[in-house]
Amino acid sequence: MRQNAPEVLALLGGAALWEFLGWSLGLQWLPPFSKVMEALAQFVGSGVILANLGSSLRGLIVGFSIALILGLVLGSLMGRYRHVEKALDIYVHALFVCPSIVFAPVFFAIFGLSDMARIAIIVVYAMFVIVINTATAIRTVDPSLVEMARSFGCGEAQIFRRILLPASLPLVFAGIRLGVGRAVKGMINGEMLIAFVGLGALAQRYGAQFDAAKVFAIAMVVLIIGLVSNALVQMLDNRLTRWAG
Amino acid sequence: MIRVRALSKEFGMRDNGAGVLALSDIDFEVNDNEFVTIIGPSGCGKTTLLRIIAGLIPYDQGEVAIDGRAVTGPGPERAVVFQNFALLPWADVLANITFGLEVRGTPLDECQNTARHLIKLVGLEGFEKRLPKELSGGMQQRVGLARALAVNPRILLMDEPFGALDEQTRRLLQEQLLLLWEEQRKTVVFVTHSMDEAVMLGDRVMLMTPRPGRVKEMIDVPLQRPRSPQVEKSGAFVEIKEYLWENLRAMQVGES
Repeated sequence: MRQNAPEVLALLGGAALWEFLGWSLGLQWLPPFSKVMEALAQFVGSGVILANLGSSLRGLIVGFSIALILGLVLGSLMGRYRHVEKALDIYVHALFVCPSIVFAPVFFAIFGLSDMARIAIIVVYAMFVIVINTATAIRTVDPSLVEMARSFGCGEAQIFRRILLPASLPLVFAGIRLGVGRAVKGMINGEMLIAFVGLGALAQRYGAQFDAAKVFAIAMVVLIIGLVSNALVQMLDNRLTRWAG
Repeated sequence: MIRVRALSKEFGMRDNGAGVLALSDIDFEVNDNEFVTIIGPSGCGKTTLLRIIAGLIPYDQGEVAIDGRAVTGPGPERAVVFQNFALLPWADVLANITFGLEVRGTPLDECQNTARHLIKLVGLEGFEKRLPKELSGGMQQRVGLARALAVNPRILLMDEPFGALDEQTRRLLQEQLLLLWEEQRKTVVFVTHSMDEAVMLGDRVMLMTPRPGRVKEMIDVPLQRPRSPQVEKSGAFVEIKEYLWENLRAMQVGES
């Protein structure tokens, strides 16, 4: 408890400052913290959040899982095989640098107003950072470990499973954590722009009504999703890569 | 028996075709149960030669054969001990030692038994659950040695295994390796840049010259076995060492 004191203090201080500014400035777009919490309580009480949260999380989980699998496979191939990397590197980096939201209209055109459209957006948001990190992780594995494995007769599959995979985990997890964050962004952006469901759609609706307290309340929920998913990945990371610490 | 005949190895330089000749026309044999040390100045290709015998890199010309069979890759009769230890940082001592056994599909309890025996043999009792980073360099190389011995190879290929260790640790490990070798009498090819080490350990010392790497001379070491550290004071030891130094010195004059 004591070691978390700075964080707790910072959060309490932030809330207090927000409350103070909210009341003293009286701006329409900055409601006091207590009003936001009130809106949040109402949302939770009426079940509105829960229904939309479920829809958002489903998209997030499906989209992120696809991004994770594609990212790991593609990244591994690029990290291990020079010619695959040479062929794909320009595309991966271009798509990574490009703001993923520009694909929204394309996916809208392809998939229409469906879950597929927002899932596709989450995938492009989250995937490339995982690809890049995984490729770098595999490429920078100590070559003497690979050579050692070969000296004991390991084939490519064993080298991958017994050397490359465990050795690259710390860096791969760094990519996964960034990917989770981007997936949450993709989820909200996709919902706001093309698929009018979930938390993004709620935020969009109340934004249009200039109901700042409700928009902030939704932002809080998104923030919590982000923090929780990050904590989950962190937990898994700590468990699997303790040796690297 | 390891037989190397007219072996040449060239490393390619980019695309223009001009390569660097790392090894040229190497000829030698290592008999069963013999301990051969290889010494030479840096750039003489001694590590490259060892890696070729290990089957880790291909060669261009000539012949490398073990018991008459050409080397085309690593094989179960050979095991390598690496200069930088090459231990798995995520695996504890026990798991590192059983690595070679596991990848060959040895049953788990057999792996464990072999590993426990070897842990005793190399003096790592009580460290079974430690990670490599929690061990000293000397202990890490003991793990490397135990890992190689675990697969019970007939031929042990050692690439400057004690080169990264401090003098005291190095001498202790040399003594232990001698004891171990007396017991198991494996065929050993041992690359080193230490003259003491080359003479202390080897039945024969192979002296190499650089650019391109060639065998200058095979030198018999007529010191009695089992050898104790006292052997360093013997006339024969000093004589061979001085002979090596004369040669190595001549190779390096004008280069350093």
